[in-house]
Amino acid sequence: MNVTVSPAPIISPASSQSQKVGSAASCPVGMLTLFAGAILWLLCASLLGLTTSLNFHAPTLLAGHGYLSYGRVHAAQNAALLYGFGVPSALGLGLWLLCRLGRTTLAGPAIVFIGAIFWNTAVTLGVGAILCGGGTGFEGFEMPAWCAPILFLSYLMIGLCALLTFHQREPGPLYPSQWFVVGSLFWFPWIFSTAALLLLCVPARGVLQATTAWWYARNFDTVFLGFAGLASAFYFIPKILGRPLHSHYQAALAFWTLALFGSWGGMPDGAPLPSWIISLGVVGTVLMAVPILTVATNFYQTVREDLNTLDADPTLRFTYVGLFFWVIAGAQQIVGALPPVSVVTDFTWFGPAQKELFRYGFFAFTVFGAIYYIVPRLLDLDQSAWHPKLFKWHFYLTFFGVLISYISLLVAGIGQGILLANTGNSFVDVMRRTVLPVRSIITGDLLVALGTILFLINFASVLATACRRCCAERKESA
Amino acid sequence: MNSGPLLFLGLFATMACSWTGFVLAPQLQLGGLAQTNTVVVGDVLPQTYPLAQPGEAHAGSEVYRANGCAACHTEMVRPLDLGSDIQRSWGVRRSLAEDYLFANPVMLGSQRIGPDLANFGQRTDTNGVYLRLYDPGLITHGSVMPPYRFLFETRKIGFFPSPDALVLPDRDAPPAGFEIIPTEKARALAAYLLSLRQDGYLFEAPPPPLAKTNAIATNAVPAVKPAAK
Amino acid sequence: MNPGEPNKVVNQKDAEPVAGRSTVPIWLIIVFGLLFYWSQLFLAENAGGFNKEVYKPYPSFEEVAAANPQDPEAKQRAEGLRVYSSTCAACHQASGLGNPGNNVPPLAGSEWVQAEGGNRIAHIVLYGLTGPINVKGQDFNGGTMLPWRETYTDEQIAAVLTYIRSQWGNKGGPVDSQVVKAARAEARPTYETPDELLKIPVK
Repeated sequence: MNVTVSPAPIISPASSQSQKVGSAASCPVGMLTLFAGAILWLLCASLLGLTTSLNFHAPTLLAGHGYLSYGRVHAAQNAALLYGFGVPSALGLGLWLLCRLGRTTLAGPAIVFIGAIFWNTAVTLGVGAILCGGGTGFEGFEMPAWCAPILFLSYLMIGLCALLTFHQREPGPLYPSQWFVVGSLFWFPWIFSTAALLLLCVPARGVLQATTAWWYARNFDTVFLGFAGLASAFYFIPKILGRPLHSHYQAALAFWTLALFGSWGGMPDGAPLPSWIISLGVVGTVLMAVPILTVATNFYQTVREDLNTLDADPTLRFTYVGLFFWVIAGAQQIVGALPPVSVVTDFTWFGPAQKELFRYGFFAFTVFGAIYYIVPRLLDLDQSAWHPKLFKWHFYLTFFGVLISYISLLVAGIGQGILLANTGNSFVDVMRRTVLPVRSIITGDLLVALGTILFLINFASVLATACRRCCAERKESA
Repeated sequence: MNSGPLLFLGLFATMACSWTGFVLAPQLQLGGLAQTNTVVVGDVLPQTYPLAQPGEAHAGSEVYRANGCAACHTEMVRPLDLGSDIQRSWGVRRSLAEDYLFANPVMLGSQRIGPDLANFGQRTDTNGVYLRLYDPGLITHGSVMPPYRFLFETRKIGFFPSPDALVLPDRDAPPAGFEIIPTEKARALAAYLLSLRQDGYLFEAPPPPLAKTNAIATNAVPAVKPAAK
Repeated sequence: MNPGEPNKVVNQKDAEPVAGRSTVPIWLIIVFGLLFYWSQLFLAENAGGFNKEVYKPYPSFEEVAAANPQDPEAKQRAEGLRVYSSTCAACHQASGLGNPGNNVPPLAGSEWVQAEGGNRIAHIVLYGLTGPINVKGQDFNGGTMLPWRETYTDEQIAAVLTYIRSQWGNKGGPVDSQVVKAARAEARPTYETPDELLKIPVK
């Protein structure tokens, strides 16, 4: 390891290069497009989620021509959330972190911008196609076959820029966030191309389609989104607190065990597969306890002396809450994989609860925190550009929204599972008895949607501030 | 961990590990699955299994896919001791890889907001399927399944009523002189749903010991759990 | 200053975070080890030997095989049906009633089939038959039955003979493959007439 680190203050001095990152000189349009698109898609996903929740209150309401029926809207919501929000925000985050930690400027910003436009176009067309009946039927990979090449190419464009940015970094030790960012950027094209090939291009035979789809979904969530979110957490928490991360070695352990074990799993216990595939998945999921514990202790040791100041900064607040949700979602996934539990909880609302907490509670929150920090700096503004009141409402609305959705889904799932385990209860009976928590999900969805709208307004106001200042500067120089 | 190439190599190795275990190995093992014979049970003699999907059923699976039915329904039955699927008459035996040999796309689903459909074809008939699609609340009071009325058309009765016309109670009945008939998509979807059956015991899922009688094996579930473990 | 301990550092603007050098705590290593050990035990019990034919709840291939019907009688009947359906039913019909119009005698209720032993019918199947034959009081002239000794093994012929002797209300015991083997060893000429048939012992 790097032995040039002396016992003297172990922080790296600022480099003039890093100040250039995010300034107008490095052309932030690409990253801004990624973030802006992501927020819009998150709002879209929230609204689609509201539509699906409405189905449990009045199934006949939106049944008209099929465009807004549950099956299609659910698929569209997934697509909007994962591909509209998830991937672009992970990319934007990753690019910015590589610039910052590499103390360099973004390579090929115009290509990033074009890639972002292509990506968003493909997702828009894909989501529209799903609502018109073009979905693939695979959970987590819903967009029609013709979207896949456009998505893949756009990703390659942006990924190539990221690779070049990483390559042109200043020599020195790599900080854990860099491993995580490179990890997430590396992972996606592999899993995406495998899924596209085996599900759409040359469909695998029979049940192998299901194994590929489940493998892809697990890798997308746990590894790709997990890496991206943790990269952000590993950077912002020590950075804003002004402390070093507690342990490089623990971060390395977490990184490699997450890559190794997080990519195993995703097959439900009763799937029509030989028992070894399912058991390997169970083992991988349970061994995820190692990265979760490692990350938890690492961060706890890092923030232990600053627990009172965690709420001070918007980025810090969103990030540490997101991390907290990551631990809970991970723990739930582990518990749900154990055979005695999965027999009860498989195919119930238990799974969606975990996904909701992971995607909204962990990943979305982490991205919010990152955006609160990154966007002003991309525009040469500082933190005061954000309206503090809008931020507060954004936080509390989304926090309680996620909590309400999660707890409703969890209660519904466990209730459904326990009732179904008793063969004396007919299926219809169980559905009727669990309909109340299922109906309360809409409250959570509503709060999250409102919070996202406020965030969008705040984001727009920051952009407006930057535009006004830019115009003012232009007038002065003219 | 400061070297870029080493990082990539490590990531490649971990990705390869997962890919080998969950994509390659299953493909090597299950990719060559072919039709097989069902197991002899009492007087029921071996048959070829599975049989290919009839054409209209394949078209129906496309309708199933387009409407995202897999968002609420699974198509896999769990073993006797792992879940209550078989006790609920959702199947005679657990589902196996063999069962999906001719399905494309394979939509196993992951959630049961509605019941499992792996053996739906054994539980209902064409008319039942149409009624359930047209007005799920009719069959299951308080159902959260949305009606799929756009799969049907209302048209004026010609010289004679159509033989396919749905027989509906007053609350759903069309206006006088009109009838409701299923469209091509509804017919295809019904054909698909009625083709969903996973009967016949296979080597990997043999019959429970009590089923070895001279009577034809039925969907009856043994009263006692099989001792084989 | 202990290099293992991170220092509280001054918050310098634009300073990038660095990672401290604390080691992984020993309890975490122990947890990892325990979980790894558990996973190996779990796989030993639940992975079915990585065999593609082992599905839950069966723990191993041997148990799956043991849970399958072991009854050799059932297996033989299944094989007998398979042979009959693919080859014999074309002429003798699935119902065993034969086709008198085409000089195909019935097997159902036939005294030849229900004889005390299966030797005679084993010869018919192995070597074929031309010439008239009287079954159930009816004469069948001009039919030809092909020899099947090149097509089927002793076990398969024994299986189909057992099948026809117990099907359609026929009352006949099973035919052992040794009987068929002995009949095959006689290496008769290809075709036989019914007069020669009656000279063959029944058992």
